Amino acid sequence: MVHDIVVFSGSSHPGLVSKIVSNLSLEEGRVKLGKFSNGETSISIGESVREKDVYVIQSSCGNINDNFMELLIMLSACKTASAKRVTAVLPLFPYSRQPDLPYSKKGINRGKQSDTPAVEKPNPLEEENNNNTLTTSKTGYKTWIAQSGTLIAELLTKSGADHIITMDLHDAQFQGFFDISVDNLYSKPILQHYIQTKIPDYQNCVIVSPDAGGAKRATAIADNLLVPFALIHKEKRFFNPKHASNSNLDLSSPQNSASSSGSSGSQDGKSYATTMIVGDVEGKDCIIVDDLVDTSYTITRAAKLLKRQNCGKIYVLITHGIFSGDALERIQQSAIDKIVVTNSVPQEKHQEVLGDKLVVLDVSRILGEAIRRIHNGESVSILFDHGW
Amino acid sequence: MSHTPNSIRLISGNSHPELAQKISQRLNIPLSIINAKQNSNNETFVTIGESIRDEDIYIIQTGCGKDKVNDFLMELLMLINACKSASARRITAVIPNFPYARQDKKDKSRAPITAKLIANLIQTAGCNHVITMDLHASQIQGFFTIPVDNLYAEPSVLEYLKHNIDLKNAIFVSPDAGGAKRVASTADKLDLNFALIHKERQKANEVSRMVLVGDVTDKICILIDDMADTCGTLVKAAETLLDNGANEVISIVTHGIFSGAAQQKLQGSKLSKLICTNTVPVGIEFDKLEQIDISPTLAEAIRRLHNGESISYLFTHAL
Repeated sequence: MVHDIVVFSGSSHPGLVSKIVSNLSLEEGRVKLGKFSNGETSISIGESVREKDVYVIQSSCGNINDNFMELLIMLSACKTASAKRVTAVLPLFPYSRQPDLPYSKKGINRGKQSDTPAVEKPNPLEEENNNNTLTTSKTGYKTWIAQSGTLIAELLTKSGADHIITMDLHDAQFQGFFDISVDNLYSKPILQHYIQTKIPDYQNCVIVSPDAGGAKRATAIADNLLVPFALIHKEKRFFNPKHASNSNLDLSSPQNSASSSGSSGSQDGKSYATTMIVGDVEGKDCIIVDDLVDTSYTITRAAKLLKRQNCGKIYVLITHGIFSGDALERIQQSAIDKIVVTNSVPQEKHQEVLGDKLVVLDVSRILGEAIRRIHNGESVSILFDHGW
Repeated sequence: MSHTPNSIRLISGNSHPELAQKISQRLNIPLSIINAKQNSNNETFVTIGESIRDEDIYIIQTGCGKDKVNDFLMELLMLINACKSASARRITAVIPNFPYARQDKKDKSRAPITAKLIANLIQTAGCNHVITMDLHASQIQGFFTIPVDNLYAEPSVLEYLKHNIDLKNAIFVSPDAGGAKRVASTADKLDLNFALIHKERQKANEVSRMVLVGDVTDKICILIDDMADTCGTLVKAAETLLDNGANEVISIVTHGIFSGAAQQKLQGSKLSKLICTNTVPVGIEFDKLEQIDISPTLAEAIRRLHNGESISYLFTHAL
């Protein structure tokens, strides 16, 4: 049916690729992936790609740098082997989350962290005091955090990618880092379909965004389903003793949970983080919507906060379930009733731990259809709203 | 036109901190404060802890480490990119052992020329200059459009030989045809003979049959190669030489990668001595192993590059 098209699988997610190629009624391209004994990646492409339309599918999971290099080497090998067009298919885009601040204390200070409660975004002041590897406060220089977005985009382009297919980019701006065309697919139709068919009485649920950044994503679903929307707002407040007594935000509001979850190591009265819910969730089932769950601090904390507001069941709908660190354990112990993810990264191991709590939706059809449409030069935008 | 003073800044990646430390001591310049870590989701994360605006940056990162090669490479790319976006004046990557250097040609259909890809990636990240050592194929320099200084370990090696080995009865041997040129030049400098082992290779990292060209009877053979990886070649070559009547076999390599079963192979081998440089950290235990420190050469190259002096002196003189 489809001619002159070759689909190669990287070693990151063979399960998804075999589904995609069977949806396209194709055979997987023959490629041998491995490593030399010195640890360098070795690939050898087993079939001709001359004047073919080549798709290389590699998600961002496991050892990300190994998988990313493997992808780059495959792209460049296909390009030098005279492929007509080389498309990189990245269901989860690597390094898509720009670390504007060190986003998890665990992440940066592995092994050296203090016993402060887990905080998703430690405030910079505290960072400066605690982080003994970067004692730069003397000179007053704020540490320069590498922004890898453009770099990753340029590396892919330089390796020979002519086109990128990805899904639910964390930052929509990421598309602008590329000089080549990027098709950002959405899992929204699939998630929406799940809500409509699998969540009982969904009309009376509340869609919750666990942070301000995801508000747009969540409101889009809420608007489509005509259900109410709530937002969990995190903010850093600077403690000012003068105004503390008459600041109703700090003390009187029952929605404020600053003391338990927010305040971190800096008890010196300089600053602390607060979280609050904007919107009414009492007695209602909540559906938390986000694009990715990594360390799971955000969603487990959101769940805790929602439970404190006497909400009903808590569902979590996520596109990319990375679950790094102790994420699975934390979710197991949290008030979350059901967590729904897609198979943009392998979920078999997560399924073993979480069992029935985890539901995995299949995105291979939407990716397969996108490949088919791009190959045939048809419009892809119908997939944005209707899924496949 | 007056320039703002710009000075050397040394940044060490996680691949070989000891070497970076030695270079830093030699130049009497402290290593800059950086933080390069992997997050719990395995993404590399780089922060730079001091201002490097308008400075002359040298990032020391070598290609090594089973399971870590790609991590170190990404770390290097991100460090380069971080320095670029932090407005460094010039960024030089000091890569003593260039990763993927052996993937340098399309030797079969659709084989990736990964060395070229790496060159492209390093330039894309924003690198302005590369310092490396004993490239597997010096043509890799041509993969770059930025200047590449390919330094040689040879002067340091010669110095070592002169002081540690009785050269009167020695002969240099190249373990394969590809290294013949390198060995012949070394032999010429010491005015010694050289022999060649011709091998018929069937698969990568596997050695089949070896034929010796030249006479090594009753001689001390000095096997020279640019790198020792699985050590299959070295061990077999040593056997071939001893079978042909050599007295003793000593081996000198620049990059001691020693992957796979190298340790076992070496321990069972008939080499009386193995000498490598510290371009990569040595990960094996082998009592006949000796190391030559090449950090002075790298440090001097950095100093000369910064001051705009000629580097070619280092091609012939040990420090």
